[in-house]
Formats: sequence, structure tokens, C-alpha cells
Amino acid sequence: MMETNGAFEIHAEAEEIVARKDIGYYLSHILFGRVMRILLLLFFILAILIPIIYIASTSLKEPIEIRVSGALLPTGPITTINWIKAFRNVPLVRYLFNSTVVAFFSTILVLAIAVPTTYSIIRFKTGGWFFPAWILGTYVMPPIVVSIPIFAMVKMVGLQNTLLGLLLVHTMANLPIAVWLMDSYIRAIPKELEQAAWIDGYSKLDTLRRVVFPLIRPGVLATGVICLILSWNEFLFALILTYGVQSNTFPIGISRYVGEHGLQFGEMSAAALAGIVPIYILVFLFSRNLVEGLTRGGVKG
Amino acid sequence: MNATIEKYTPKLMALPTFIILLIISLVPLIYVLGISFTDSTISKPFNDFIWFENYKKALTDEVFGDSLVNTLVFAFVVTTIQTFLGFVLAFAMQRERKLSGVLRTLALLPLFTPPVAIAMIWRLIYDPNQGMLNYYMLKWGLVSAPAAFLGDKTLAFPSIMLADIWQWTPFCFLLCLAALQSLPRDPYEAAMVDGASAWYVFKRLTLPMVAPQVIVIFLFRFLIALKVFDLIYMLTFGGPGNTTQVASFYIYRVSFKQFQTGYGGALSILVLILISVLATLLTKGRELLLKRVE
Repeated sequence: MMETNGAFEIHAEAEEIVARKDIGYYLSHILFGRVMRILLLLFFILAILIPIIYIASTSLKEPIEIRVSGALLPTGPITTINWIKAFRNVPLVRYLFNSTVVAFFSTILVLAIAVPTTYSIIRFKTGGWFFPAWILGTYVMPPIVVSIPIFAMVKMVGLQNTLLGLLLVHTMANLPIAVWLMDSYIRAIPKELEQAAWIDGYSKLDTLRRVVFPLIRPGVLATGVICLILSWNEFLFALILTYGVQSNTFPIGISRYVGEHGLQFGEMSAAALAGIVPIYILVFLFSRNLVEGLTRGGVKG
Repeated sequence: MNATIEKYTPKLMALPTFIILLIISLVPLIYVLGISFTDSTISKPFNDFIWFENYKKALTDEVFGDSLVNTLVFAFVVTTIQTFLGFVLAFAMQRERKLSGVLRTLALLPLFTPPVAIAMIWRLIYDPNQGMLNYYMLKWGLVSAPAAFLGDKTLAFPSIMLADIWQWTPFCFLLCLAALQSLPRDPYEAAMVDGASAWYVFKRLTLPMVAPQVIVIFLFRFLIALKVFDLIYMLTFGGPGNTTQVASFYIYRVSFKQFQTGYGGALSILVLILISVLATLLTKGRELLLKRVE
């Protein structure tokens, strides 16, 4: 699978390669032959897409066909009956509405808190080494560990089974990851820019608002979309804090549905897709930002 | 007045986060520690102080022991496969410029699909009667009878791992790709001019340069994988016969299904200690490893 060429051949081509500054290409070209790379690429794309295509096709198959054939693509006529039944039998619109409210407002709150905090940590070393470590530690901690007290606290303030209670918990739960994501964007702003602003008489808050913020907009966007999706997908806190249609978010709603109605695969696929599609639209709209946000935050030592 | 505000602005900016950290980590941890010494239930918190009874019970609780082993095995296996696959794919694709935009967007799809929906997709795929996997295995003559992937004691855990690998390999791919593309070019040029073989260049240049970042990716993913909950809840509920029981799910079951919050608190504390020790060891191990690479 890996072919290593002799030193001579490489030497012969080396100068041309160096001239093109394309060594990475050359290296992967030699270690993986062309055929190998195309096969890998196909495998990767198919591995990602087949489960998604399968659920989409299942949602369009006739219920009778689903019972006899698990084929990837529909073999018989396609139908919208599963979608109609899913929206009729499951309060999907309500679940999606709840999810939207929780995700949208928790994201706004997260950004409003995370941006100034991250700025303060990086520029003024607020909290020394301990504060950032505490934030990271909180992110690594499994949420189940604090679920009993969170449940008790939300109940104590009377916000159990409300959207407000859940969105506040999501705000707090997503804050560490938001600080972590914003970190590299704020770090990249040259300090001289802010010092110039201070000399011009800007307060620290104005500097953040009018000098730094316009420069970190891509980071704020990436962090915002990621927090939005994380809140939309969040399962554990929604599971223990909401127990009625009026406050169930999409993940809890459809998991209840599967429990109560058994496995009607067509409807289940349609219901699941109803919650997937909005996320995929966001991913396609902001893919560049999302990739940048994830990789900048992820690879720093 | 203004000068005072100005002086305290940095602290005020960080204050909301400080308060939130108190609410979601410090206060809860003290609460959990307190409750772990009591015989509490969900409706009667801080019921009877029984000191270390819950901890004694935990040490002899076989299901808890199994769940810890399962969590570690799960995190280690999926992280290893995801990092390896992600690296190989990233390495092979690192200069496919035309395709890389499309690939990156596609890679985001599994990562951001709601875990509940991922579980439903795989439940469909694995279904013994109507699922795609059995359909094709029967059709191609690989098996003679349909397999109950999620209902079988040996198959259930690997089946869940496969769903997790589908979800997270693209994440490792994206991070490895970014790491590879951030490598400096100069050392390669020198090696190429010196006539080093491609394998040699990969082994002696690429690998040492990219290793620190790949190790970080591995550690990051490993610590997140220890939290696994959603897939277990939706696919097997810890079954069949506790073979897919993991720490997070067991604590959930004890606290919110059996309502023994005191015992659940003790389990939480033990899991937290284990993860802290593990995280410290892994970071120390990383430093040692990096010294050796240098």
C-alpha cells in the first residue's frame, strides 16, 4: 500500500518540487499512489453520506416497502406519507420551536458573556493561570457529575420544566467551550492596536467594543453557530429538566416518541430529519467559519 | 469615579463567567460531595448522614466496576481509531485543493448531526428485520440469519462504537488536516535536496513535527469520549445485561431512574477523581513523550 521510491529518482525530481513549494503534495503522492488516494477519498465521502442518504430515503419509502426491504435507495414509488404522519403524530413543530428559542437565546447570552471574559483573560491576565484552567476543567468534566445539583437548583428557583430554565443551563454549559473557541481569535489581535486606542482616550470597554470586536467578528460568528448547534443537540440537561410538550426540545421529543410508539421507521426517519435539516442548512451556510473556528481552537498546544 | 471603573473593568468583564463557574462547577461539586455522605433520594435531599456507606457500596458494586472499565475501553478504542483514520485521511487529502472545501463541509455533517438523530439512523441500519446492514449481508450471502446487532452481548458495544466513529472521525480529520497544513516547508526542502526517500522524510520529519499536535487531538478527543451518554441512552440503555453500561449512564440510572441521589453522588465523586487522575497522567505522559521525540 505504501511505495517508497529510491533516493535517486527523488533527487532527480527534487529541484522541480522545491521550486513548486509543493512538498506535502509530493509526499502524499508517493506514500499513497493515485489509485489509493481516490479509493480513500471515495470511502470517506461514502462513509459520511450513506447513513444520511439511508435515513432520507427511508423517510420517502412506502411503509410496506420499509418492512420488506432495507435497501439504501427506494425501489418502489416514493411517498410523503411518513412526513405527514410524523408531523401529525408528534408535536414536532412545538419541539422545533422550543429548540429554536433555547438555542437562540442561550447563544446570545453565551456570546455576551464569553467575549468580554476571554478578552479580559488574554489582555489583562485576569485570574492568572487558574481561571483559564478552571474553565477548561469545567469543559472536560462530564455533565452527569453535576446533574443532581443542577436539577436541584433549577427546581429551587422554580424553573423546572420551563424553556427559561433550560436556556440558562445551556448558557452556563456552553460558556467554557465558547471561551475556548474565542481564545485564538482574540489572541491574534495585535496589542499595539489597543494601546493606540487607549492613548486616544478610549476606555477599556470602548476599546473592546469599537476596536477589537470588529476584528474578531468571524470568531464570534463561528463560536455563535457552534454554540447554537450544541444547544440544539444537547440531550442530558434537556432530559432531566424538561418533562412536558411545552418545554421538551427536539432531541427529547423524538426520543420520547420512539419510546412510546415503538419503531415505525418511516415516521421516525422523517421526524429525525426534521431536526437534522436546520442544522445542515447552518453547516452549509457557515462551513468555512465553522471549520476555521474548530481547527483554530483545537490544535493549539 | 471613572478611573475606578476603568481600573476594575477587566475584573468586571470576567465576573459573569466567574459567577457561572461557581454555579455550574464549584457549588454543584460541594453539593455532590455533601450528598454522597447521605442516604438521599431525589425527593429527600440530605436525608441521613451515613458517612462512607455509599463509597463502600460503590467499591463492591460490580455494575459500577464494569461501567468504569467499559467507559475506558470505549474512549480508548474509539479515540485510537478516530485519530488514526483521521490522520491517514488528512495525510492523503492534504493537497487535494479542489476537493478540500467540499470535504471539509461534508466532514462537518456527522460532527454536528444531533446525537439523538445519529442514534436513530444507526438503530435503523442495525435493525434485525428492516435494517440496511442485515439486508445487504443477507443479500450478499455473508450471513444466513439476521443479526441483532444491538441486542447481542458481544456485538452491541462494537456497534455503538461504530456509530461514534462515524460521528467523530471527521472531527479528527479536520484537526489533523489543519495540523499538517500548518507545518513549515523549509525542512522538507532541505531533505528533498539531500535526496532522502519519501518514507524517510515522513518518518523523520513529518511525524516528529506533527506528533505534538496529533497527541493533543488524541487527548482532547479521549477526554470528551469519556462523557459518552446520548448514544448509550438511545441505542441500548446500557443493555443487554449491562454489557454497554458506561459511567455517565450508570450514574444517570442510579440518580434519576432509581432516585438514589446519595449513591449517585458518591459514584459521581469517584468518576470525577478517576478522570482528574487520568487527565493529569495523560498530560504528564504527553510531556515525557514530547521530550523523547525531540
